[in-house]
This record gives sequence, C-alpha cells and structure tokens, in this order.
Amino acid sequence: MNIHEYQAKQIFKAHGVPVPAGGPVTSEREARDLLKEIGPDVVVKAQVHAGGRGKGRVIKRDRAGRVYNDLIGDGERHEGQIVGRRRGGVRLASGIEEALKELRPMMDKDSRLVSIQTGAEGVPISAVLIEQQSSIAHEYYFSVQVDGANGQPLIIASAEGGQSIEEVNRTNPRAVLRVPVDPVEGFPAFRGRSLANQLGIPTSAIRAAGDMFANLYRVFVDMDASLVEVNPFVLTSEGAILAIDGKVGVDDNAAFRHGGYEEWRDRSQENPVEIEAEEANIGSYIKLDGNIGCVVNGAGLAMATMDTLMLHGGEPANFLDIGTVNRKDRVVEALRIIVNDPDVKTIFINIFGGLARVDIVAEGVVDAVNELKIKQPLVVRLNGSNVEEGRRVLHDSGIAVQTADELGDAAALAVEAAQSGRRRSRSNN
Amino acid sequence: MSILLNNRTRLLIQGLGNEGQNQIRRSLDYGTRVVAGVHPGFRGGDTFNHGAHEFPVYPTVVEAVSKTQANCSIIYVPAPGAADAILENIAAEVPLIVCITEGVPVHDMIRVRTALEGSKSRLIGPNCPGIIQPASQCRVGIHPPDVFMAGNVGVVSRSGTLVYEAVDQLTRAGIGQSTCVGVGGDPIIGEQQQAILRRFQSDPDTDAVVLIGEIGGLAEQAAAAYIKRSMTKPVVAFIAGATAPPGRRMGHAGAIIEGEAGTAEAKIKALEEAGAVISRSPAEIGSTMRRVLEEAGKYQAPGAVEQA
Repeated sequence: MNIHEYQAKQIFKAHGVPVPAGGPVTSEREARDLLKEIGPDVVVKAQVHAGGRGKGRVIKRDRAGRVYNDLIGDGERHEGQIVGRRRGGVRLASGIEEALKELRPMMDKDSRLVSIQTGAEGVPISAVLIEQQSSIAHEYYFSVQVDGANGQPLIIASAEGGQSIEEVNRTNPRAVLRVPVDPVEGFPAFRGRSLANQLGIPTSAIRAAGDMFANLYRVFVDMDASLVEVNPFVLTSEGAILAIDGKVGVDDNAAFRHGGYEEWRDRSQENPVEIEAEEANIGSYIKLDGNIGCVVNGAGLAMATMDTLMLHGGEPANFLDIGTVNRKDRVVEALRIIVNDPDVKTIFINIFGGLARVDIVAEGVVDAVNELKIKQPLVVRLNGSNVEEGRRVLHDSGIAVQTADELGDAAALAVEAAQSGRRRSRSNN
Repeated sequence: MSILLNNRTRLLIQGLGNEGQNQIRRSLDYGTRVVAGVHPGFRGGDTFNHGAHEFPVYPTVVEAVSKTQANCSIIYVPAPGAADAILENIAAEVPLIVCITEGVPVHDMIRVRTALEGSKSRLIGPNCPGIIQPASQCRVGIHPPDVFMAGNVGVVSRSGTLVYEAVDQLTRAGIGQSTCVGVGGDPIIGEQQQAILRRFQSDPDTDAVVLIGEIGGLAEQAAAAYIKRSMTKPVVAFIAGATAPPGRRMGHAGAIIEGEAGTAEAKIKALEEAGAVISRSPAEIGSTMRRVLEEAGKYQAPGAVEQA
C-alpha cells in the first residue's frame, strides 16, 4: 500500500527529517491562513497515489462521466477535448491570489489527475499540499528498500536527483550508489555521514544529511515499509538539507501490527471493485480489460491461467487469486463480483486444490449458479484435493457448466465461449 | 541419495491448529515419518493421534528435538508468529526448516535471513507449498498427494499451485518426480531457485528439472546464470505472468514488475540463452519435458520406475 506525500512528510517530520514548511489543505480558508504564514512563494501539489504528477494533467469529470480538460479557466471548456494550456499536478505560485487560482481546480471534488501512471481515467485528487518554495542549490536522490535477493535493506543514493533514478541508472550507472545495510547495525548517523561524503555534499551540511539518512532509515523500520524514497532531497542555497518530496510504501503483510494502516489508507485512490473484493474477503483481485472472468487459486496459477487464455486468443477480465477455499460461500462471493462486472462474457474457474478442497469449491459453484442466476457461460476446471468428489458434485447438480480436466483444454473452451458470445451479441444487433 | 529429504527424514510439525492438523494427517497417510509436534498449550494433551499413528507434542522446539532427534521442521504457524517459529528452529539447530505460512512481514524475514547466516539451518519458504518426495513417501507441505508419482524429474517453483499443475502434466505424460520444491513467492525467502538447481544437478535421482518462475525480482536470472555455468541436466522452464499488466501486484509480493529485468520476456531470454527449454504455455510443461527426456534418452516409461 502507498500513502500520500503529505502523510509521508508528516511521518518524516515526526522522525526528525527536515521538510519544507506547509501542509495539506481542504478548504480555501485553510489555504489562506497557511499562505499568510508561509507565503508568498509556494508550490501547490495535488495529492494522488501516482507518480508523474508534474508532467501530468488536472482534468475534471462530471457526474455523467464526461471529461473536461483545462479547468483553470484561461481556455474554454470543451467536453472531451484538450483546450488551453496543460496544467500539471505540481504548480508554482507567488502570492495568495495566484496560489488560490492554482489550488481551486485541484480542490474541485470532481477533479482528477491524469499521468503516465494512472491511465486515461486518472485518479481523484484527495488533498492539496501547499509548501514553501525552496531555493535549490543541488538536487539528490535517496531511497531505502528491501533487497530480496540478499535479504537485507538496500540504500540507493545519487547526486543526480530530481529525475527518474531508473533513467540515471541507464545513462550514468556510476552516479548511482548502492549501500547494503546490515540489519543488526541498522543505519547509524556515521554511516549516513559517510554516504553524504560520497555524494559530494559540502562539509558544512554533512552532519544534517547524515542525520537525515539515519532518520529515514528509522522511518523504514518503524513503518514496516517496503520503500522510503526522497526524490529529490536538496541542498538549499542557504546550505540546509531538505526533503522536497517523499514517498512511502508499506508492507500490507505487516498491517496487523499497525492497526491495518487505517490512519494512512485512502480508499479513493483504489479501484472500487477491488475494494469490494477485499471487503468480501475473496482474495487478491485486480480488474483487467478483457471479457473472461477468472476465479483461480494461487497467484502463480492465476497468472498462468491468464497467460493460457491469451495464448488461445482470449482476454481475462480480471486477475483473481481466491487463495485457500475452505468455505463455499467464498466461492459465491467471488462469483458475485465476477458476475456483476459488465465486461464479463464468460466465467472460467480453475482450481487446483492443495490446501483448498475442490469439492467445497464445486459446492460453492453450484450455490452461486442457483443463487446468482448466472447467465454467462461457465467453464470449470477442477483438480487436486478431493477432485473426484468435486467433479461428482458438479455433475449431480445438473447446472449448465462445461468442464475439462486439463488447463489447455479448459482455457480453449472458455475462449470459445467468450468469442461465440460476442458473435451472438453482434448478430442480435 | 536425493535432495533435502530422504527416508531418514524425521519430521517435526510446529503449529497444530486446524490447518496444521489436517495437513499432518495427510502427510501421515502418505507415509511420512512424523516424530514430534510443537504447540505451546496444545489442547490435545501430550500426544497427537491419527489412526494408528501417534506422536508426542512438546511446548518448545528445543525439547522436541532433544527427545525425538527430529531433523526437519514444518511450520504452519499463522503469519504474526511465523518468523518467531523459524527463529526458534534456527536456535534449536534444526537442519531443514520448511515454512508454509503466507503473509509473513518482510521486515520479519530480514531478521530471519540474518539469523540463518552462519547457522546450521536451511530454510524453504515462507509462502510456499513445501517439499514432497514421492519415492520416500515424504510430504513436508500442503500438496495434494494423488497427482505425484515417483520418477526422475525434479521440480522447483516459486508458485505452489503451479507445482501441482506442472506435476499433474508430468504424471499424465508418464513422467515421475524425484523431489518437488516450492521455494515460495515472497521477496525474501530461504533457498532460492538457483540453490535448488544446484542440489538437483548433484542428485543422482534427478535426470532433468522443471523450473517455474514468475514476473518480478531477479531470481530467474540468477538461476539462468547457474544453468549456464554449471548445469548439465536439461531444464524445462515456464515463467508465469507474461501477460500481466506492468506495475500491478499479482498476489505474490515477489511478483511486482520492477523495471525491465522483472518482466517475463527478460527472464525467458536469460533462461533461453542459458540453454533451458522454454514452455511458452503453462499447459505444455509436461509435453515439453517428455520431448526433452526422450531426446536425452532419459524417458522412463511408467512401470519402469520402481514405485516406493
């Protein structure tokens, strides 16, 4: 799970990491008060869980789903067209009125931010962060993440900050420093000073930078983070060190010891169907573009099922790892979400029971067909624990279902059903 | 000879909750020698009984090991306590630890990996189906036993259900398995694919290996480097997630596309260059292995393999 920049900075601040003066605002009055305090030169930043904000675009979508571009008012509003100048999600402003002009379209409750990471739909803007501008002498990069191969934290830092670190790594890999962290020692300030020295940070700022690195490492540990990234942190022309941006990703598996991360979670940034799937506790669900609704156990098999469908010319409507099924109502709940997806033309259930028992899955499928009045063609492939019993349950139920024992055959059936469904609907028109 | 398990494996089960109990019953039915349970305050009393089988239950691993000479542990403890259970086994110097648990926090696994360093223990998992060795009737995990058959092909996979899928195809194609290892889908695990390949390479019971990887991480590249450098036995590989949209996490924490190296294409290319035979479709793992074995003159028709 990701958290917002303003939240990351609140956590930074509490851990002694220097951040610019400012904070999130939710109303114009709040904004005015804050601007009086920290103005006149500020930066206004849309808060969304996506990168590429600066080069992205603020748009507005009305209740009917029509999209308007350029909300700023210096061009006419034309439905579905880009008019006027592009307005990104990170804007500089001078003075209260100019800042409010930048702020208003972002605060509109129908406004969304589109960037290369969001897709054309964009994501709603949850809050707006206003911060004092800094006079930047140099931009640097710092992150700490988990290095799976070595099983320890890895710090990555560069004196070429403020741009994509992947790009720096491609064009000038020697400018990217990698520092493995001994988890027993942690990352004490002296290691931080040594890193600051390697980055060429001036002597007068080395203590501040070293402390900041050590404190960012503490954020990583305290938050059970999978990533803490500051791109950029800067040396100001006054010689101070400041974290200008901040990104924190936390480990969902550690939610049990952080109150579910509820304090930091923003459901508006998540796909509504995925939230519904989570609340129904049906496993890991991701919406995709195709028309074959998939119910599979195991992440690897779920991906392999998608791969097989694509190889047969079909397109999955979703990824769903239903996990270990030991209760049939979970199958019903999963199918409820799949059936309610208007894109789904065919349903493909592929369960290979290990921990999961496929006879229970089969009972769930029968219940779902009867309860949900499923109209889409249903292809079921069962194998593994209690498979004979599972196949018997399906057979004896008399429900309309196509079955196959092998993955390839089952996928072919599902693709065929999806395609003939499409042909049928065309001829109906 | 065989890898990780053999008919001298003495299994200890940690975590006798409902799921642990169900699974250990199936292992006992399969023929696995279970010598001890560890479950502080186990409600069943001092022993666990299943049919004619019985084993003692102890409050701590160190006591269980000293009383029963257990040499392998299987952990079914829920996620919040799983790392603690692994650490307890490392402290008790259990040589082989298999952790099934899904959802172990990654920072916990950093601690575990540090403790493993220089210890007498090896770890498989977490978030894995475990290990199964049909010839010695040894099931240390959660596998559906019926699809497995003794034979000469090793299987190593990050995904659990894909182990079953691949094995089902192998068995249908008349190909038995020497040992099947699910290394686990998390970012930090014990032994990775490369280490298991090394074991298979020096295992006289294994003539060829199925390697199942998935998008994310760099483990398949490390495996490819090992294959290129040292592997003489044929490897058939499948990488799951070729069609996954970039940037989305597909269930396994390990399966995040991080840059181009994490893509299925990059992994397939590395494995192909190392000489592995790629099965593009997950439905063709069995038939691909059959062809490879026949070409190598290592295909043993069913019945020729002595069933244990």
